[in-house]
Amino acid sequence: MRKASDIGFGEKAVISDIDTSHPSSRRIIEIGFTPGQEIELVNKSIFNDPLAFALRGTVIAIRKREADCIIII
Amino acid sequence: MITQTAHSTPLVTLVGPPNSGKTTLFNYLSGKHYKTVNYPGSTVDYSVSKMQDKFNINANLLDSPGIISLIPASPDEEVSVHSLYKHPKYGNPDLIIATADSTQLSRHLLLVRQLLESGFRVIVVLTMSDLLNKRNFDVSTKRLSELLNCDVIKLDGRNGTGLDKLLNLIEINLNNSLLSGKPDTTEYKLDNSSPLINMFRESEEIEKEVIFRVASTKNISKADKELQILSNYQIDSTTIKIDRFLLHKYWGIFGFFAIMSITFTSVFWLAQPLMNLVDKTFGFLANFAQASLGDTWYSDLISNGLISGIGSVLVFVPQIIILFLILGLLEDSGYLARGAMLIDKPLSKIGLNGKSFVPMLSGFACAIPAIMAARTISNKRERLLTIFIIPLISCSARLPVYALLIGFLVPNHNQWLGGVILASIYIFGIISSVVISAIINKFSKFILRNNDNSSFILELPSYRMPKLSVVINNTVTNAEQYIKRAGPTILALSIAIWMLSYFPNNNPKIEAKGLSSEQVISLKSSERLAGSYSAQLGKFIQPVMTPLGMDWRVGVSLVSAFAAREVFVSSLAMIFRVTDSSDNLQSSILHSMRNAEIEGTNQKLFTPATILGLIVFFIFALQCISTISISYKESGTWRIPLFQVLIFTGLAYIFTFITVNGLRAIGIN
Repeated sequence: MRKASDIGFGEKAVISDIDTSHPSSRRIIEIGFTPGQEIELVNKSIFNDPLAFALRGTVIAIRKREADCIIII
Repeated sequence: MITQTAHSTPLVTLVGPPNSGKTTLFNYLSGKHYKTVNYPGSTVDYSVSKMQDKFNINANLLDSPGIISLIPASPDEEVSVHSLYKHPKYGNPDLIIATADSTQLSRHLLLVRQLLESGFRVIVVLTMSDLLNKRNFDVSTKRLSELLNCDVIKLDGRNGTGLDKLLNLIEINLNNSLLSGKPDTTEYKLDNSSPLINMFRESEEIEKEVIFRVASTKNISKADKELQILSNYQIDSTTIKIDRFLLHKYWGIFGFFAIMSITFTSVFWLAQPLMNLVDKTFGFLANFAQASLGDTWYSDLISNGLISGIGSVLVFVPQIIILFLILGLLEDSGYLARGAMLIDKPLSKIGLNGKSFVPMLSGFACAIPAIMAARTISNKRERLLTIFIIPLISCSARLPVYALLIGFLVPNHNQWLGGVILASIYIFGIISSVVISAIINKFSKFILRNNDNSSFILELPSYRMPKLSVVINNTVTNAEQYIKRAGPTILALSIAIWMLSYFPNNNPKIEAKGLSSEQVISLKSSERLAGSYSAQLGKFIQPVMTPLGMDWRVGVSLVSAFAAREVFVSSLAMIFRVTDSSDNLQSSILHSMRNAEIEGTNQKLFTPATILGLIVFFIFALQCISTISISYKESGTWRIPLFQVLIFTGLAYIFTFITVNGLRAIGIN
């Protein structure tokens, strides 16, 4: 099972599911990470964390730990 | 049971996600000039205003902090969501104006639909449609209105096109509210996340239906026929490219430090010519007053008390203006979100959050808005720790003090060295805050359990050219507020300190034989001071000051600085009676400081060691009553402000002691 935190720099992927047991999962959904959406890892901060994903026409930075709850195909 | 009160002034509340153009709309409707900032969460408190008179609509207007959903995830959201249903002062809204970015519809419709489901009366205002047009798309307000079953209009934030329509709709909706009463609302609740995901799916469907491609921007009516499904928008590619640099492993850190150091060095040398001007003006006024009023008590009050006291602080307004200007440019460009992202990892190691960056940076201007900005941090531990360390960030009130003390250390005209020392002071303050945060984080694990979820989720807005007019406008407002806040305190304390140091021995008898008139005046004033009330008060402080190598006169100035830190400068100016024949206020303060001796000895009072000691004191000491009260208000407990005062002021004393005596031990006097 791959997670959004495993995506490489500049790689695109489609979200298949969100792990709702993760404490940040609701906020992750509310900001637009929903199943079926295509995301792209456009930038990483120093130390490779947080990660910046492009989705729904905007860029959103989330921590690696939070990207763990985004399951991709 | 809630009793229906008589229908008072109707209430219109603006609601919208961060960066959706909410504050711009508020400014249009209220005629105010609140700053809009390119950083999510810049509105942390409700702003209230009347609608502009010229619109002829009698209503209160509330601007709420940006939220993405009606289910709160942080204290600032909890407050704003709660106040949305029922504002503690203004009650429940007659009408909600919900802003949504047309390029972000699938995300921004979530909040709109939650508002509608809760039963609010809503007008949807679509912003940024010019960006949509640029990409050859447009949005059908008519179709969206049908699908949502509420009023929808487009508004161009740059020129206000669409405002007339909006005003018309507001009037109609308020009339309806008058007739049928305020809408009944129920609080929006969710048991699990699946309704959210469904809502997103539906919003995507809605987006597909209302957004259409236009052949050319000039031909919109024809384009209605060419309805096309919009799959994915282009993200601003320039922004991504800039970020490749500014978030880069090495370039990013380099850029971060370059931006920070440019900020603080320019505060010093850009302001210099302006400062000289203000300085000369007040020096001239003080001399003029003294020359024309003669050797009387009121001459002394006006020249030494009022003009020198106020002037010694106003001299630093140019520096403060430049600091606010640069912070404003940074805010408006969109860099702040990147700064937050860059230092999230390091800050999370010491118990803070990347979102602590913006509060900490605002702390360079003033701790009060900075502590309020900490509300955007959702984790309680991280928020309290951020609030705790903010007083260690050197605020603009400390700038006059540092500038005077640096002026003592550095020979005139060496502004470069002055800038470097100032930057080092700031960096030292930051390092101290980091160290203290790390220590508290280590220990607080025993006190506060780490069970609440630490998170960092932040939208990175597109970079934009800062709007100079907005930034300047905002800087002027800030400088005005600075003067209004500090001005009266400085004025009142100037008079108080003047009186304490002038009376009761206001006309001392001295042996004037064989002395020049200038020597008579200086001898008179030192005799007067020695027998004054402040000298009597100073005796209590003397034992505390002796270990620091200073005397009661500095002690009195330090105590008076608890009213406002800048007062330290005016207080020194007053106690050392600075008005002399030189036409420059600053140089005459420095001149009298260089000549001052510890009472009863031949030892110089101000030496590099004591000056550095004073700088250290000001870095640590929490000497601001407003900070203490906002810290209580925002943390909800007296524990935090109490610890802040005790720990920071205690550290200030200990470190000053170590600095002064340490330097002397190694031969630096």
